[in-house]
Amino acid sequence: MLVDLIQQLFNGLVIGSIYTLVALGLTIIFGILGIAHFAHGSVAMFGGYLTFFFIQSLGIGLFPSMALAMVAGALLGVILERVAYHPVRNAPPINAFIIALGLTLIIEKSNLILFGVDQVIIPTGFDRVFEIGGVTFPELRVYILVIAAVLVIALTILIQKTWMGMAVRAVAQNRPAAILMGINVDAVSMFVFGLSSALGVAAGVLVGALFAVAPGVSSGLVVKGFAVLILGGLGSIPGAIIGGLLLGVSETFATAFISSAYKDVIAFLLMIGVLLFKPEGLMRRSATR
Amino acid sequence: MLTVTDVRISYGQAEVVHGVSFAVEEGECVALIGPNGAGKSTILKAICGLLRPSAGDIVFDGRSVAGLPGHEVARRGIAMCPEGRQMFPEMTVMENLKLGAYRRRSESITPEIDEMMELFPRLRERSTQMAGTLSGGEQEMVAIARALMAKPKLCIFDEPSLGIAPKVVDEIEETLIKIKGLGVTILLVEQAVSMALRVADRAYVLEAGEVVTAGTSQEMSNDPRVQSAYLGA
Repeated sequence: MLVDLIQQLFNGLVIGSIYTLVALGLTIIFGILGIAHFAHGSVAMFGGYLTFFFIQSLGIGLFPSMALAMVAGALLGVILERVAYHPVRNAPPINAFIIALGLTLIIEKSNLILFGVDQVIIPTGFDRVFEIGGVTFPELRVYILVIAAVLVIALTILIQKTWMGMAVRAVAQNRPAAILMGINVDAVSMFVFGLSSALGVAAGVLVGALFAVAPGVSSGLVVKGFAVLILGGLGSIPGAIIGGLLLGVSETFATAFISSAYKDVIAFLLMIGVLLFKPEGLMRRSATR
Repeated sequence: MLTVTDVRISYGQAEVVHGVSFAVEEGECVALIGPNGAGKSTILKAICGLLRPSAGDIVFDGRSVAGLPGHEVARRGIAMCPEGRQMFPEMTVMENLKLGAYRRRSESITPEIDEMMELFPRLRERSTQMAGTLSGGEQEMVAIARALMAKPKLCIFDEPSLGIAPKVVDEIEETLIKIKGLGVTILLVEQAVSMALRVADRAYVLEAGEVVTAGTSQEMSNDPRVQSAYLGA
């Protein structure tokens, strides 16, 4: 039983770390711009396809391909911010909402046109399986956990310790005051979109290696991402980390110990519970301003 | 240093500032006084690039800043201590101060941090506390220190006494006089007219979007109209 528990905990953390990567991008964008960026999942899948393409067609390794795809994703994010969201930054929020829906369709269909309708699995070559005391640790899953952890730690340092990170937090907490400090809010918006999209692409690659890159996966990713935001608190970075892991673990436990049919029920139960009892999110103090 | 010439500002169709002119010379402390709704804060927003004037010009340090984006104005050396303090509430006092020096982020800012801690010893005790948890008076000190961290050529104070306990207002007055003594050029906007006239060298009285009278603080304190309207004489 204990072995089972540890096994499922591990599996849950692996899935949860991917949810965290998706949610981090969504939460930073929401914190800065107040935008529900639904196209984030499609951007992630675009990156997944691109990585597959780089590996297959250019014959470069997984990690260089992933890095290239993250750069491409960052560029795509900056372009989306400039072309789609920037023009409506002072308009009522419904405009950005409609644009987000439109972008989701556009990128989703572009993926179909560019990469076809077939699902692809990103080849990694990480096929070994470690076993410790009856608990199995597939090499790929260990790497996923490590990659996600490295990215999360890098992001945390960036946001907490650098001038750019301080500027990002300043704009999220008090936009007019940030301008008075000499912070270029437009540049911060572009930076945030680039950074978030690169993280989203990383998540897309990990999903593609673990399961598959395929049409339709993106919407699932975005739904889970927003579920994490609700769990952890909109705009909260610690919330996205804790929320993502919590969602991953509870889903895996539900699948293992109840039934896989209840997997998504658990996600929604968690969301409903948080909304009922702590609507500001698990990691957010209420009425802080 | 700062010359505002015949500036008009509108919110949509409604013009609220009808051709205002004034000037602040280097090393001077100038007060803009007048009642609520006179357009004082609106003018400040235009100077800081948060609003675009519909007519007129704002020249700072020999160059026009009218219509420049706010962050560009800040980078040219105008710092603002805004009305309502405008903290970054979920950042520490120290981080708030550092952000004040954002335009000098390539330089070392440790000496200025120490200077501010000297000027406001209470901020030293509070340096790791979230700014949003401080009292109004303490937040005002953070806002003042944060503005000074930019080493500005011109420092603007927008209603620093608003919503602050009377005892702390005296402290703020002393602080402003101290800052003036450091040679910082100051534009002070205040409804607390008697306090403003004690601190400033010169003052402009603004009513309903126009300058109605101007002169040295001494002249303004003796002006019968100012006395009856603002000083309760």
